Amino acid sequence: MPTSDPDQRLRSLLDSPNLWRGSEHYVAATTKASGHFPGLPTGFAALDASLPWRGWPANALVEIITPLWGTGELQLVLPLLRRISMAGKSALWFSPPCIPYAPALASAGVDIARMIIVTPPATEILWGIEKALQDKACALVLAWPGHLSGKHIRRLQLAALTGQTLGILFHHRNIRHSASVLRLSAQAEEDTMTLTVLKARGSYRHDRIRLPWGCP
Amino acid sequence: MNSKPFQSSLALHPLRAVRTDKPRGPARALTPSTGARRPTPLWYALWLPQLDQQPAMDGSQQARLEQIAASLGSLSATVSIEAPDSFLFEVGSTLRYFGGIEKIRTRLHALLEPLLRSWALPHHFHEAASPTPAASLLLARAACNLLVYRKDNLRAALGRLPLHTLSLPERKKRQFHNSGLYILRDIWRLPSHAVAQRFGHAFTRQLEQSLGHIANPVQAYHSAPIFCSDLDCTYAVENKQSLLPGIETLLERLCLFLHTRELAAMHLHLALVHEQQGHTEVEIMLRQANRSHAHLQLLLETRLNAVALPAPVIAMQLRVTQFAPFASHSATLSGVPVAQEHSAGLDDLLPLLEQLQARLGNRAVRSIHCQDEHCPEQAGLDRPFGERMPTVIVPPRGASEETQRPCWLLAKPVALRQEDGRLFYYSSLRLLSGPERIETHWWSPQEIQRDYYVARNRQGMRLWIFHERQASTQHETRDWFLHGIFA
Repeated sequence: MPTSDPDQRLRSLLDSPNLWRGSEHYVAATTKASGHFPGLPTGFAALDASLPWRGWPANALVEIITPLWGTGELQLVLPLLRRISMAGKSALWFSPPCIPYAPALASAGVDIARMIIVTPPATEILWGIEKALQDKACALVLAWPGHLSGKHIRRLQLAALTGQTLGILFHHRNIRHSASVLRLSAQAEEDTMTLTVLKARGSYRHDRIRLPWGCP
Repeated sequence: MNSKPFQSSLALHPLRAVRTDKPRGPARALTPSTGARRPTPLWYALWLPQLDQQPAMDGSQQARLEQIAASLGSLSATVSIEAPDSFLFEVGSTLRYFGGIEKIRTRLHALLEPLLRSWALPHHFHEAASPTPAASLLLARAACNLLVYRKDNLRAALGRLPLHTLSLPERKKRQFHNSGLYILRDIWRLPSHAVAQRFGHAFTRQLEQSLGHIANPVQAYHSAPIFCSDLDCTYAVENKQSLLPGIETLLERLCLFLHTRELAAMHLHLALVHEQQGHTEVEIMLRQANRSHAHLQLLLETRLNAVALPAPVIAMQLRVTQFAPFASHSATLSGVPVAQEHSAGLDDLLPLLEQLQARLGNRAVRSIHCQDEHCPEQAGLDRPFGERMPTVIVPPRGASEETQRPCWLLAKPVALRQEDGRLFYYSSLRLLSGPERIETHWWSPQEIQRDYYVARNRQGMRLWIFHERQASTQHETRDWFLHGIFA
């Protein structure tokens, strides 16, 4: 006997595992049952919720696109740096626009002994980033590589996969057809920072998230 | 004193004394007992008092001791330096090879004479040989020049040694003299427990050792390891890739060398020899001593890629100038690492950092440090990775607006543009918080007096700017500067 209530029929249809909705994250849908998500928490609940991995994707390449250096992109990764250094893992910074200021990082709870700054010449930076991403001992690579092409990004994404390392590239230009797993655009405003998810593998959602300025 | 039985049972053979002592009965050379399969140990002791009489000159004495010990290595497998002026080496096992003690003695003199002459030292020394190291040393230092083959005869040989020749403190020597004890035999006439009580266990232990009653381990001298290996190329190599098999061969030799000696390499030199044009040197300093073939090969390859070859290579030479003892890492039985014990070091990351340093240069890999300073420029430092810096624990600050520090600090403050009393950096600035006054001590070389503010521009950048409290010498007005970006 068919149920008469249309809401109930719709709900039973939605609960069926054979149905996949475009608004739902693929990764989230597959891991919903286990309740365990493969991402590293970003430290921002709103951002976690809109990403399919419930955080930064592990073992992958992430691009953060900002119009200028210093518009909140470091605040975005500070919780991650804190988490990684407290877990006894290391992060490598490739060619940051300025040398990171140790007292600021230390007061944000980051173990500065685990932060290594690499300042290679412009011709060697991609070699360095690839080597660091391929290394399993390195947990996180932050890089300001300057000019990048889609070919470079594909190669770095493969390196991140090999070394099971999270790589975050900061640059100014949105490269179309980039092979990175997550592409975010960050725009600072008065007291907030607006993040736009340009691409997240396994999700069709292009969320726009407003975060309060300053790391939690 | 009944000396006859002593003489007959003694195997005394006066070595051709360099300084003759009073004659000691008929010389009698006894051959080592032929029945024993293992040769009985025979320790040869040398005493060169002239080495110690020279005033100690900047460690040259130790260098001389080591040089003599190294040359004694041609006579024996076990050589020991008995500081400050004596040597011990085992000759029982090499007697047959050299053809008797006299031959060894001749070789010894031939070895020592040029050395002593080159140091302008008198060419005389005292020597003795006996089955125990301690007895040989005692006999040599007492200038006896005796050879004792059998352990049974030691007591008789040592019994005549005057007590003042023993290496004992002056007070103890006076104690013996006052007790009417002049030679070792006087001691042996006393009950042994009484000797131990009166003169100490260390003294009786020394006597027991010299008689061979208790073991007397000798610390053998090992010369500093040297590794230098050459390889000739079969043809003049122009391509760097073609050099790699040769490097692999050299590294194989090195790793075998390191494994057999329980060492690890710290500082490597690879010389690529060119025809008529000298050689190109590739140098590798390791942050942590290593003996892994794969790691060294990777470092050399990386380093080689950055080197330009001026001419084809005809030969290679690998040298190691610094070694370190090999320290192995042990894993826990359960396989679970011990509660993040490596938190102080970056051991697991070192291979990667070394590879980066090999290609990009040591200064390109840097670590950051905090310093307990008011001046913002000096509170945070970056130094080439590996330089030792005192660790400063920075207490976690409260997130109060006044004491915020920016994540990027500009190497040099940038003057801000001012128009109509407004500050500009990309766009006009608005002050968010401040001022926080920072002043250095009046005696510090770089005197600063600044009021810091946190400002924001229309692009949303949070900036750390300051206002000079005193007008600078060039400008009449007090200037505003950008010093950091919160990013």
